[in-house]
Amino acid sequence: MSANIKSVLEGLNKKELFEIANQNKIIIPNSWSKLLIVELLALNVSADNIQRIKAKPSEPKIQFEGSSTIIIKDLVKKFEDVTAVDNLSLEIMEGELFSLLGPNGAGKTTTINILNGVMKPTKGTAIIAGFDVTKNLDEVKKIIGSCPQEAAVFKFLNARENIELFGKLHSVSKNELKERTDTLLELLGLTEVSKRKAGGYSGGMLRKLNLIIALISDPKIAFLDEPTVGMDARARRKTWEFIGSLKKENKTIILTTHYIEEAEALSDRVGIIDYGKLVELGTPKELMERYKAKNLEEVFLNITGRRILEGI
Amino acid sequence: MKMQALGALVNVELKKLIRHPVNLFMNLLFPALLTVVFMFTFSDPELGMSINSVVPGLVVYAVIFLIMTVAQSFSSERKLLRRLNTTPMTSTEFIGSQIISNMIIAMVQVVIVLFLAYLLGFRPESSFEGIFLSLLVTAIFALSSVGLGLITATISKNPEMGVGFSFLFILPQMFFGTFMPLSSSTQEIAKFVPSHYLFDALKLIFEGNWMNTNFFLDLVVISIVSILVVLMGIVLFEKYGSR
Repeated sequence: MSANIKSVLEGLNKKELFEIANQNKIIIPNSWSKLLIVELLALNVSADNIQRIKAKPSEPKIQFEGSSTIIIKDLVKKFEDVTAVDNLSLEIMEGELFSLLGPNGAGKTTTINILNGVMKPTKGTAIIAGFDVTKNLDEVKKIIGSCPQEAAVFKFLNARENIELFGKLHSVSKNELKERTDTLLELLGLTEVSKRKAGGYSGGMLRKLNLIIALISDPKIAFLDEPTVGMDARARRKTWEFIGSLKKENKTIILTTHYIEEAEALSDRVGIIDYGKLVELGTPKELMERYKAKNLEEVFLNITGRRILEGI
Repeated sequence: MKMQALGALVNVELKKLIRHPVNLFMNLLFPALLTVVFMFTFSDPELGMSINSVVPGLVVYAVIFLIMTVAQSFSSERKLLRRLNTTPMTSTEFIGSQIISNMIIAMVQVVIVLFLAYLLGFRPESSFEGIFLSLLVTAIFALSSVGLGLITATISKNPEMGVGFSFLFILPQMFFGTFMPLSSSTQEIAKFVPSHYLFDALKLIFEGNWMNTNFFLDLVVISIVSILVVLMGIVLFEKYGSR
């Protein structure tokens, strides 16, 4: 350990210091001052580790082919003194299945809630299929389908009634509504229970209904916020296959999930956010190569390990 | 406003009335129960009350309890409201569906109360037109219950609080605005209670005495207050309640 490494560390900002700590599996409490972090890291890391972090841009550069259907620009969302989304910028391509990963409280759901119009951003904006969510939300709502994290269905209605209600709110024609309802119920295995009140459904069945409702209008863009959480392994696999099949319809899908293997199997690209910031972006393969990891879960733990180890 | 969306939302609200046990009890069975109990308890001539003065009060009771069901419904369905908000549904369609469905419920309540009261000896002086007018006036007043329900939901964090807070608006209307005996000072308070005007209007209708200025004034007050309260409820709930 030399004074040279210490002086390099002193030249980094706190976020970069945390990144070095992450990569070296060193746990640092958030409350620590920069001085203390530098002292700890100077004793535990080599010059190579620092070089690798410094070489990586603090915000990932985005390379695109084709047209972007979602453009998120400097998005900020603050709740009193907590910044849930912190200057997030990102572009998602038409027909892409994009997974947003991050630990609990990283800002995934808040980001989705801004994109689908449930929340207004504190700063910045997002353009969806050419419409600004802060100015043309009515137009945005016509082309999106949204599957919230918690199943939000009318418990006193049966599956068919729930689906038809949302179809009518999207002005789906009667014939198309019946056809799509039948198809989606069949695909997700709910046909037999479709006339039973949703209040009597298991958690997994409610999740499937939650997902069907999001897709009944045949949206160009679908926001699926942890759509398979609470499903048993078999139902989860079946739902993954179903979500994967949506890519063939050229739908743009934004998926948040805690099942990293789900993201790895389905996604064209993955964005990892932490503390509301985008900290990594790329195809699952690119990320695994970048971090010399066997799978995406290893990449995820490498990047967000500090928070998980701290139990935040 | 898209009629398909409005119709679908009204349909859901009416299904909620029939299929949700609490709503079914509060909106339909409770007024029926109240009618039977109050008709036996308060229509005794020894108490100095006539059946004709009790029945308008029972209609008022039924409609003001809509405040509780609206408040409970809105505070328990915030997740669903957020989801509905991601669809092209407009707030006019949504609030419109609440208003229409609650007006229908209020009219059904009037029919239940009048039918049971008739079976128990109530004989209004009014003709069929009068009965129709009572349905109409009550439906307009139901707007104020929707508005007060929305205000209650705005200040309530959960359905239990919604039920509790709804009594802030229900109790004054029950005691100052119906057939409860009032002193001269409390009679002054009653003038600020919306249900007082519905009670008075229905009393005039059932006495066959509604072609006069008093009834017209009652109708104007009910209409203005109900529209103002429902507008206030919509604004407050949209701004603070749907978070």
